[in-house]
Amino acid sequence: MRIVVTGMGIVSPIGIGTDQFWSAAVNGVSGIKRISAFDASKQRSQIAGEVAGFDPATFLSAKYMDQTDRFAQLALLAANLALDDAGGLDGYAPQRVAVSIGSGMGGFGTFESSATRRFKNQPVPPFTVPRTMANSAAAWVAIKHGLKGVNLTCSTACSSGANAIGMALDLLRAGRADAVVAGGAEACVLPLTMTSFEILHALTTSSNSDPEGASRPFAKGRAGFVMSEGAGILILEKEEQAIRRGAKIYAQLAGFGQACDAKHIVMPDIEGQISTMQAAIQDAGLKPDSIDHINAHATSTPLGDIVETRAIKHVFGSRAGDIAISATKSMVGHSIGASAAIGSIATIMALHTGTIHPTINLDEADPECDLDYTPNRAQQKNPRTGLCNAFGFGGNNASIIFTNP
Amino acid sequence: MDTADIETKVIQFIATKAENLDASTINRSSKFEELGLDSMDTIQLLFDAEDAFGINFDSEEAKGFSSVGDIISYIEKHQATPL
Repeated sequence: MRIVVTGMGIVSPIGIGTDQFWSAAVNGVSGIKRISAFDASKQRSQIAGEVAGFDPATFLSAKYMDQTDRFAQLALLAANLALDDAGGLDGYAPQRVAVSIGSGMGGFGTFESSATRRFKNQPVPPFTVPRTMANSAAAWVAIKHGLKGVNLTCSTACSSGANAIGMALDLLRAGRADAVVAGGAEACVLPLTMTSFEILHALTTSSNSDPEGASRPFAKGRAGFVMSEGAGILILEKEEQAIRRGAKIYAQLAGFGQACDAKHIVMPDIEGQISTMQAAIQDAGLKPDSIDHINAHATSTPLGDIVETRAIKHVFGSRAGDIAISATKSMVGHSIGASAAIGSIATIMALHTGTIHPTINLDEADPECDLDYTPNRAQQKNPRTGLCNAFGFGGNNASIIFTNP
Repeated sequence: MDTADIETKVIQFIATKAENLDASTINRSSKFEELGLDSMDTIQLLFDAEDAFGINFDSEEAKGFSSVGDIISYIEKHQATPL
């Protein structure tokens, strides 16, 4: 059974909507700026990828804005765009349309602000729980579009969006849904959340005066990731049903792999990364030789980018150097649970347009990162198969494979 | 703030919170459910009204509110000043 992508919606620091996002990505535009959402002067990391121009009032009434955290609002806009792009799913029984959305932190913005009020003995907003809960994004997408099938949320840190897409693939293959609205959403450009990542030395703190140059996957001197926010949503259907309803088909979602490091709660491990890529390739019924493009997890941490490079070399052997790799996070930063959904859309667009977007800020690569990361300039490579990696805290690894339809 | 002033301000405030409602269609006797406000919406409305009117509703008393007039009367009784 072939599962295909028939719609995409993205809300990112470099653009809202696939066209705006992809145009910026191909042109190597950075979405990293000094933080505007709160006074970041006391933060060690004062930069982030925020979604400029995002106004929930354009699609939500005051009442629904009160009831939704920003991460759910980002998911709602991405879902609206994706469903529009797919031409709607009205032909399916509502009970046969599922929603599967990943988020690492859920409504942490609400949690932080309500906690602040509680500790000052101020009244706590009534919708604190329904805004904070991680499944609120999936629930709101269902409510707003009347989607009454399976409704799942996946929270596996930075791989949440990938696992949510993988779960969607499983639902379709198992016959538990006819179509799935799947992806990831995150909004944790927040003081407590960022401080908590700072204390783990995960965020770069040395580029506050050069935001656009801060996220530098695979580059010499990279110093950690840049926090960002966003959402990416795919519409997934069985190919025969998509063809029957005359939908346009962007790509096939051909395979999905998962593996847990079972070693350290935050440090990456090469074995888990190798296993997940191999599992995805096997699931897609492919051989490593047929992978043309990799959208790397590549967060710009000193250790992570080296481990991923070594894992790619292990899986692809002597061909590793021939694969066009790119790091979307060099431009959008790391949007945690949304990142793999955004990476998936970048992978699909690479297949759809033939263009590999660049990894920016890569003037001089780390000697231990010696593959073709598409430095600074887009390349026309016409890939037919693309693999998107996502590696999360908890040793949680997931890889997704898309192919041309 | 005199009584008429409080009434006008509360009605205008509720109009911004209810879906598709104009202030001219809301009066003292309007029930929350007639305005399309369910029980959770009403809790949110009272929370927002505390900030907007600089008042603290007694939670036991507020549980019994069912109409716009209940909010207006409470504010009149406690003579709050708007922020």
